[in-house]
Amino acid sequence: MNERPGDPAQPDELLELRGLVRGFGRVPVLAGVSAELRAGEVLLVTGKNGSGKSTLLRCLAGLLRPQAGTIRLREAGVELDAAARRRRVGYVAPDLSLYEPLTAAENLAFFCRLRGIAPARGDELLARLGVPESRAAGALSSGMRQRLRWAWALLHRPRLLLLDEPFQNLDAAGEAGLRALLDEHLAAGGMAVVATPSALALPRVAATLALDAPAALLGAA
Amino acid sequence: MSVETDARGADAASAPALSAASPATTAPASRWLAEALAVFAKDWRVELRSRHALHTLLLFAVTTLITVSVALGPLGVSSSERLAVLPALLWVILLFAAAAGLPRAFVHEEETHTATALRLAATPSAVFAGKVLYSASLLFAVEALLVPLYVAVMQLPVASLGDLLLALGAGGLGLALASTLLAAIAAQAQGRAALFPILAFPILLPLLLLAIELTRGAVGGAVGDGVVANLVLYDATMAVAGLMLFPLVWNP
Repeated sequence: MNERPGDPAQPDELLELRGLVRGFGRVPVLAGVSAELRAGEVLLVTGKNGSGKSTLLRCLAGLLRPQAGTIRLREAGVELDAAARRRRVGYVAPDLSLYEPLTAAENLAFFCRLRGIAPARGDELLARLGVPESRAAGALSSGMRQRLRWAWALLHRPRLLLLDEPFQNLDAAGEAGLRALLDEHLAAGGMAVVATPSALALPRVAATLALDAPAALLGAA
Repeated sequence: MSVETDARGADAASAPALSAASPATTAPASRWLAEALAVFAKDWRVELRSRHALHTLLLFAVTTLITVSVALGPLGVSSSERLAVLPALLWVILLFAAAAGLPRAFVHEEETHTATALRLAATPSAVFAGKVLYSASLLFAVEALLVPLYVAVMQLPVASLGDLLLALGAGGLGLALASTLLAAIAAQAQGRAALFPILAFPILLPLLLLAIELTRGAVGGAVGDGVVANLVLYDATMAVAGLMLFPLVWNP
């Protein structure tokens, strides 16, 4: 079973992290991270380069296994295990690419087929985000690629968005469009975890998680 | 690290734009098959645009075929040795062609960072099945071009076309199954280039021996007892092992 009915006393939408630990080799990156997020809220994750922001998001997405600690995600009153969480989250990160030889529309159509969604959803998102649908993903500018990542992440209408530097390489219009999408997502009861190395003004920020870079990683005393 | 709590947003309204958690977390057979076919079709579409694997496989196969034919030629091998040597050479050519192209199945996904998107959207076993279908069809395409050339150039007599097709089909499928699983394992490692041949040697050896034996039978007219059954059993074992092991390799 991927899902189990939750405790009716618990909120329907909940992301809860307790004591997350993750390192690489002997380098500790996350040392006991805890936080909680509910419907319509943003968890802002800040920190210098190498402080573990992306590692935290990869753990939340189920792309990395924490060495200790727990991640609980409840959606619509149902608690998801790691495998279900992996397929449910919407993930935008610099280390995610789509297939360069395929056009933007073909890329989204492929992922629509994987997720059992009508391809019209991909076309709708591309039109909304202003991504040229017939251009190969490899021929898109870095800003357009970022918009395409967002379109990919929103295809299945996820309740939890994991956004790693979500507005990088975007022009003002692009950023405004994506901020509007994020607002709509939150207004509809979605949750978002946003990682950023610099200050970022966002609505509905429920908590800010400031990650301190491990001394070993930064070479500091 | 620290957590500061700001004003908690009060809007926890219903979520009309958000989907329920249930879809796609478990894959019934039809959904699983649709996912596998989507991966298969995507891989072919990407391949037809880039032609990396197809060119590598064909170039390797044709170069090796020409080398063998020039070095040995139809008259370079005595008729008594022909039945023993030529089927083995055919499978060596196919093995090297496959080894040159098929391990890219997952390495390319990892290197171009598309593996993350695939991991987050697809059922792992369906990804494996789609990749196997793609690798097998790629190999069959190479066999369809290479084997008639090889038979003609080396003047290889074929006593039983059915057995030859069975050897190429079951042998090619086994090669695709084993290569796909090994490619997935190797793609996660640091020494990718070295790991694949090291892993492949013990796993592909029984397959190659069986495929050579069946091809020899197809050429000579007498297939040994149990060769076909063992070849099919090898494929079935690799398919089951792949479907069971791949999710462990693919996901953290």
